[in-house]
Amino acid sequence: MTEIRRWVSGGSAWAVLIALTLVLLLQRDALPWAIRFPDGWAVPLTPWLNAGMNWVIDSFGIYFRAFSDQLSVLMRWIRDGINSLPWAAIVALVAFMAYAVSGWKLAVFSFAAMFYMVLIGFWTEAMNSLALVALSVPMAVIIGFFTGALGFASDRADRIIRPTMDMMQTIPAFAYLLPILLLFGFGPVVGLIASLLYAVPPMVRNTTMGLGAVNSEVIEAGSMSGATRRQLFWRVRVPSAMRQILLGVNQTTMAAFSMVIIASIIGGTADIGWEVLKSIRRAEFGESLLLGLVIAFMAMVMDRLTAQIARRDTSGPEALEWARPRVLWLSALVLAIAITALAQVLPFLKTYPAAWEFYPAGRLNSAVQYIVTEFTVTINYIKQVAFFFVMLPVKMGLEKTITPFSWGFAFTDTLKIGYAVAVLALAALSWQRRSWRAAALVIFFGMLLFVGITGMPWPALIAMATLLAYQTGGRRLALGMLAGLGFLLLAGVWEEAMLSIYLCGLAVLFCFLIGGALGVLAAEFDSVSAALRPFNDTLQTMPLFVILIPFVMIFKIGEFTALLAIIAYAIVPSIRYTEHGIRSVSKEVIEAATASGCTPLQLLWRVKLPLAAPVILLGLNQTIMYAIAMLVIAALVGTSDLGQLVYIGLGDGDFGVGIVAGVGMAIIAMLADRMTQAMGGRPK
Amino acid sequence: MNKFTTKIAAALSFGLVAAGAQADEIRIPVNSWTGQNLSAHIAGQLLEKLDHEVEYVTAGAVPQLAAMAQGTLHFQPEFWDNNVGDIYPDALAVGDIVIVGPLGLQSREGWIYPPYMEEQCPGLPAYEALYDCAQAFAAADTFPNGRLITYPADWGTRSRDLVAALDLPFQPVAGGSEGAMIAELRSAVAAQQPMLMMFWEPHWLFAEFDFNWIEWDAPENGVCDESNQTRGDACGFAQANVGKLVNRDFAETWPDAYALAEAFTMDNASQNEMILQVDQQGMSVEDAAAGWIAENEEIWTPWIEAARAAQD
Repeated sequence: MTEIRRWVSGGSAWAVLIALTLVLLLQRDALPWAIRFPDGWAVPLTPWLNAGMNWVIDSFGIYFRAFSDQLSVLMRWIRDGINSLPWAAIVALVAFMAYAVSGWKLAVFSFAAMFYMVLIGFWTEAMNSLALVALSVPMAVIIGFFTGALGFASDRADRIIRPTMDMMQTIPAFAYLLPILLLFGFGPVVGLIASLLYAVPPMVRNTTMGLGAVNSEVIEAGSMSGATRRQLFWRVRVPSAMRQILLGVNQTTMAAFSMVIIASIIGGTADIGWEVLKSIRRAEFGESLLLGLVIAFMAMVMDRLTAQIARRDTSGPEALEWARPRVLWLSALVLAIAITALAQVLPFLKTYPAAWEFYPAGRLNSAVQYIVTEFTVTINYIKQVAFFFVMLPVKMGLEKTITPFSWGFAFTDTLKIGYAVAVLALAALSWQRRSWRAAALVIFFGMLLFVGITGMPWPALIAMATLLAYQTGGRRLALGMLAGLGFLLLAGVWEEAMLSIYLCGLAVLFCFLIGGALGVLAAEFDSVSAALRPFNDTLQTMPLFVILIPFVMIFKIGEFTALLAIIAYAIVPSIRYTEHGIRSVSKEVIEAATASGCTPLQLLWRVKLPLAAPVILLGLNQTIMYAIAMLVIAALVGTSDLGQLVYIGLGDGDFGVGIVAGVGMAIIAMLADRMTQAMGGRPK
Repeated sequence: MNKFTTKIAAALSFGLVAAGAQADEIRIPVNSWTGQNLSAHIAGQLLEKLDHEVEYVTAGAVPQLAAMAQGTLHFQPEFWDNNVGDIYPDALAVGDIVIVGPLGLQSREGWIYPPYMEEQCPGLPAYEALYDCAQAFAAADTFPNGRLITYPADWGTRSRDLVAALDLPFQPVAGGSEGAMIAELRSAVAAQQPMLMMFWEPHWLFAEFDFNWIEWDAPENGVCDESNQTRGDACGFAQANVGKLVNRDFAETWPDAYALAEAFTMDNASQNEMILQVDQQGMSVEDAAAGWIAENEEIWTPWIEAARAAQD
C-alpha cells in the first residue's frame, strides 16, 4: 500500500500519464470518443431534473406561493413607506447617519452620492431598489446569524452548512432564477429570494468564524461568574464576536446590492436595475453608465457606513454608551420631520423639478463613438494579435492556428518536429534546474498548446487533474476532483466546461500578472494606490453588465470582448490582495533586510514577495472566483461556454439545462478554490 | 422577545393576511422595449376608459409567460412568438394562456446590412451575391469566410442552419444579447465597417439608422418552410407572429376588457412614429400613448363600443 502511495506521489506517475496522453493523441483518429465524449454516454440529467421540479411545484407550490404573497405585501409596504418621504429627508438622513458613525468626510460623500440620484432624475427607481435591499439585508442577517450559530454549535451541522454555502455563492444566480420563479410565482419576491440566496453565505461564514474565534479565557471568565449557557452565548460570546459578525453584515449588504440588476431580469420591480437592463438592451453606453453609477454609489455609501459601524470597537462594555445613540436617534427623527414639514412649503424638496435635472448621456455616447471611429485600425490590430497568438492556440491548438493567413507561414512537419524538440529541451532544462514537477508541467502545456484545450483527450485531463489534486491536497481532494470532473463529463457538458476553463484560465493568468504588478506598484507608491482606489471601487460595485457595452462597441461581439470583460472585473482582487500583502510585511523585517544591504529590488523579490505570498495566493483564489462569476455575464457578448448554457436554460424556460450548467460552474469554482487553498497550505 | 414586539408581530401578520387578498385590477406586463411599452399603455389607457384599474408591471420575456400562466399578469397586448422556449407552447396547450388574435403589426425577420455595403458588394440585396463577396464581410476571426452575427444562442439556431443548408461561405457568430447586437451595429455604422446581421422589424433601430434586407427567393404557396432550403430555392425565414395574449380566466372575469382585447390593433407606421417620439424626442411613453388616443378617436371608439356591448 505504501509503495503505491509513494509511486503516486512521485514523478513516475506523471511519466506514465504523459505517455498515455501521447498514445491517445496519436491514435485520436481511431479513438474519437477520447476527444469528444459521445452524447449517448451522457446521463440524461436534464429530463430527470425537470420531472423532479414539476413534482415539487405540483406538491408544494401552494405553500411557496402563500409565503410569497405575504412577502410581497411586506415589500409593498416598505416601498410605499420609503416613497412617501420627500427625497430631501432621505438624503439628509443618510448624510446625518454618515456623520454620526464616521464624520464630515463620509457625510459629504454620502450626500453627494445620494443627491446624484436626484440630479439625474431616477430617484423613485433608486428608492425601489433600496426597498428591496432594505428587506433582503435584515432577512439575510437574521437567517445568516442563526445558521452560522448552528454551524458553530454543531460540527455535524457545519459539515452540511459549509458546502451548501459554497454552492449558494458559486452557482450563478441566473441558474436559480427560473426555479424560484416557478416556485414562488412572478413578482419582486423572486428578486428578493435570489438576493437572499446570494447574500446569506457571508453572514453565515463570518458568524461561525467570529463565534469560534472568541478567546477561551473570556468564556471561562463568563462561566466562572455564574453565567448560564444562554447568557454565556448572548452576553459573552456574541458581543465578543461582534466585530466579525458586523463584518458579515457589511459583506451581506454588498452581496445584496450586487443582485439588484439580476433581480430585475424577472421583473415586477420598476427599479433602477430594470432601467439599467433597458439601456443595456438598447446598447446605450451613456445611459447605462449613469444608471449603473446609481447602484455603485448606493453600494459604496452602504459599504462605508456598515464598515464604519463594524470598525468601531463594540466588544468592550465601555462602548455601550446608551445616551449617545438615543440622542442620535432623536435628532435623526427631528431632522426627518422638519424636512418633511419644510417640503410642504417648498415642493421642490419633495419632487425634484425635471428642469433642474442633469443627464449627460449623449455626450458619453459620442465619446465612445469617437473612439470607435478614430482607432478602428489599432483596435483591430490588437484584437488580431490576441486572437492568433494567444486565444486560438489555447482553444484550438497551434496545429489548427498556424496558417499562412494568421501567422504568415504553414505549420509544416519540420516545424512540428522542431516544436516537439523545443518542448522536450525546455522540459529537460526545467528538470535539471528545478524539479521533475516543472518538467512534467512543461510537457503538459506543450501538448495542450499543440492540440488546444478542446482537443485534449478527456481521460488524460481527468487523470492528470486527479493526480495533481492528490499530490497537492491528498486523497480527499483527489476524490473530489474525480467526482467533480466526472459530473461535468457524465452530464454532457464537458466541452462547454473546457471552454469555460479556457476563458477563465486566460483571464486569471492575465489578471494575476498585470494585477499583481499593479498591486506591487500600489504598495510601493502611495500615489498609485490612491489613483487605483476609485477604479477598483467602481469596477467592483458597478453592475457587471454595464462594463460590457463599451467593450462590445469597441471590440465587437465575440470571445475577445468576453475575455476583456472578465479581466476588467477579476483584476481587482489581484491588485488589492497583492498591495495588502506587501504592505502588511512587518517593518522590522524590512529594516533588518535594508540594514543587511538589500537593494530595493532585492528587498522586493527576496523579502517582501515571499513573505506576502500567502495573501497574494488568497488574491489569486479570489480572482478565480470572480472570473467564474463573470462568465455568465460575459455570455451576453457571445461565448459558447457554461455561462451561455445558463442563458439557454433561462431563455427556454428549461430548468434542468440551466441548473446543470450552473452546478457545473460551481464545481469548477469549488475545485479551483480547494486547489489554490491546498497549494497555499502546503508547507515549504 | 418582549410583549411589545410580540404584539407588533401579531399585528403585522394579521395585516399581511388581510392585505394579501388580490385587488381587482388588470395587470399588464411592460417589457424592456419601447414598442411593446406603447401597445401596453394604449391598451391600458383604453381599459381605464372602461373604468378598469390598470397596473403596469415590468416583466422579462420568459418570466411574463410564467406569470400569465399563474394568473399574476392578465393581458399582454403585444407578444412576439419567436425566440421563446417550450414554456409558451406548453402554457397554450393546457389553456393557461389564450391567444386573442393578431395585433396587426407586420413583423419581418432576416439578415440586414448597412446601405454602404452595396458599393463593396454590388449584387446585393439578392442573397446570391453573398457567395461572391463573402470576403467583403470578413473579419480576422472568420477570414476568409464572411462574418454573420446571428441571434443570441438562447434564441435558437435558425441562421446557422440556413448557412449550412445553403453552403454559404459565412461563419455564424452568436450575438450574445440584443444589447450586444445593437452595440455592434452602432459601432459598425459609425466606422463604416462591414456588417451582416440577423435582425427583426418592427424595431426602433430602423427609426435611427438605415438598413437594407437580404432578399430571398419567393417561397412556393407563400409560406416559407425553413427546414427545407437549397441554393436556388431559398426562402430565408418563416415570419413571426405578433399576437395578443390573456390569461385563462380573463374572458370570464372581465368580459368587456376581453372584447376590447379582441378588437385592439396597431399598425407599423403608427408604432414607428410613436417610437421615434419616445426614443428620439424624449417624450414619455404615457404621453405618446395618450397622444395617439387623442388623435385616433375614430379608430378606438368602435372598440370601446364593442366592449360595452359585451358587458351587457
